[in-house]
Amino acid sequence: MILKADWIAALLAVAVLAAIPLVFRSSYIIGIMTVALCYGMWAASWDFMSGLTGRENFGHSLFIGAGAYTAGFLNVNFGFNPWWSLLAAPFVAVLFSLLMGFPTLRLRGPYFALAMLSASAVMQNLTIIFSTYTGGQDGLNGLFPILDSTLAYYYLTLGILVASAALLKFIANSSWGLILRAIRGDEATCQAAGINVTFYKIASLMISAAIAGLGGALYAHYQLQVGPDLFTVVLSINIIIMVYVGGMGSIYGPIGGALFLNVLTETLRGLSEFRLWVYTVVLVFILFFLPQGAIAPLWRRIRVAFR
Amino acid sequence: MLQILIYGAVISSIYALLAVGFTLIFGVARILNLAHGSFYALGAYGVYTLTANLHLPLWLAAIISVLLVAALGVLIERVLVRPLRRSMLAVLLITLAVALMIEQVLLLIFGSEARNVPSLVDVTYHLFGVDISGQRLLALGGGIVVLIGLWAFLQFTRLGTAILAVSQDAEAAQYMGIPSDRMYSIVMGVSAGMAAVAGVLVAPFQTVIPSMGLLPLVKAFAIVVVGGLGSIAGSIVGALLLGYSETIIAFKISIEWSQIVSVAAVLITLILRPAGFFGKRAAF
Repeated sequence: MILKADWIAALLAVAVLAAIPLVFRSSYIIGIMTVALCYGMWAASWDFMSGLTGRENFGHSLFIGAGAYTAGFLNVNFGFNPWWSLLAAPFVAVLFSLLMGFPTLRLRGPYFALAMLSASAVMQNLTIIFSTYTGGQDGLNGLFPILDSTLAYYYLTLGILVASAALLKFIANSSWGLILRAIRGDEATCQAAGINVTFYKIASLMISAAIAGLGGALYAHYQLQVGPDLFTVVLSINIIIMVYVGGMGSIYGPIGGALFLNVLTETLRGLSEFRLWVYTVVLVFILFFLPQGAIAPLWRRIRVAFR
Repeated sequence: MLQILIYGAVISSIYALLAVGFTLIFGVARILNLAHGSFYALGAYGVYTLTANLHLPLWLAAIISVLLVAALGVLIERVLVRPLRRSMLAVLLITLAVALMIEQVLLLIFGSEARNVPSLVDVTYHLFGVDISGQRLLALGGGIVVLIGLWAFLQFTRLGTAILAVSQDAEAAQYMGIPSDRMYSIVMGVSAGMAAVAGVLVAPFQTVIPSMGLLPLVKAFAIVVVGGLGSIAGSIVGALLLGYSETIIAFKISIEWSQIVSVAAVLITLILRPAGFFGKRAAF
């Protein structure tokens, strides 16, 4: 059920995000926020698939890297206009999700997570092995920015994030989302009820991959380079932590988690040795005291006060 | 050719130690322990500190280091893992947090330069025309001894039988009067201890840096999946397979290709036969 409070909060959040570059005029901060927005896309897309269906995907970086390297190949190796990356990246990511989804989604429990994790690790190794095509460890450099000003690119990224989040939330609130949640509850019962569970699982993985790939391309055109560290397990796990902090299954919570953790790690950049400590402490704190996450449950408490 | 045989055996032995410990804690307590690599690193660093700073003889430092790491494993299970046992994802994330913290602590205390641990056996043997260091042979032998010891422990002692019972059915074991919770802690200690033994054995000839546990964790993981989560025999077979394939590919093709073997093996196993070679738990 969508309350009026939800709409107001969403508009407020977007307004705040839009106002940030106007308040903090440094391009350093705008850059950090752009990256944070990309993480928001990745977190929201992960949550759409894994948060709703309960099938935790530990290889989300596979789609991110696929999108980013698509952008890299098209732009650097073939000289395409950077705007094409935004179109092509989701497609390539979806192809990967089809390739990996069919054989792995029938696996139960931790096996799906492990399969996706090893898929992304395989891609990471392949990009290093075939370094003549992919640039190996150094990756591909010299991507062209889509827009010339960091400010404009921030708004582009923000716009795409809002549109993606709205799309994901719309699907999550529809009967599709209900079916996905039912799959998390009891897959066998869903099948007995005549629902084509495989179709829904693969479709949600495809959608998740598309958004993640799009985010990957946006990230690539911000950093102006792509490397094999976009395929790492570390990236997938960082995203899962962000989703956990935000609250699984809510779509907006993970975006908040992504923003929070990105800002947190940046503010702690001064205490460089203790940065990872704080990250870890936050994680442990959430696991023990707020297992449902922080942002989504908090919002759920607040919103009913405004009925 | 003979070089491959011997080096492969050494690597397989270390992999087997790590993999068996990993699969043990999963088979018994259903914990995917991402801190397993950290125990390996702590074993190595423990030996380093005890010999370099406290000037203990190497054999004593090795034993103390292993015991300390085992105790740490028990502590972690009791304090951090037990309250979160309801959710596998939470347990996984907490072990990840522990792994991150341990690496950060090691980085803070020891810095990022590699540390030197003296060899227990400083001789280089010349076997059948191949030069092999005594320490590597010790690693091979030590690994085999520990694995046989573990097998004997599980087969012939009451505690071992209790552990096997818990791995089959924790609830039924409790009906039989076996305190499952305590078993989980004990197995965690054993698992951590085995990882520490691996760390102690390789410390003289491997780079001892705070992040040394990451790659072995990935390998152990891969072996356990291929061999079957929860199967000790599977882990040993898997360790031999991985150890030898990596050695052969590294010698014949390139080091980069040898790194992909482990993760590719996981992927292929999960697609074709998710339960692994000897896996008992169905994955569908």
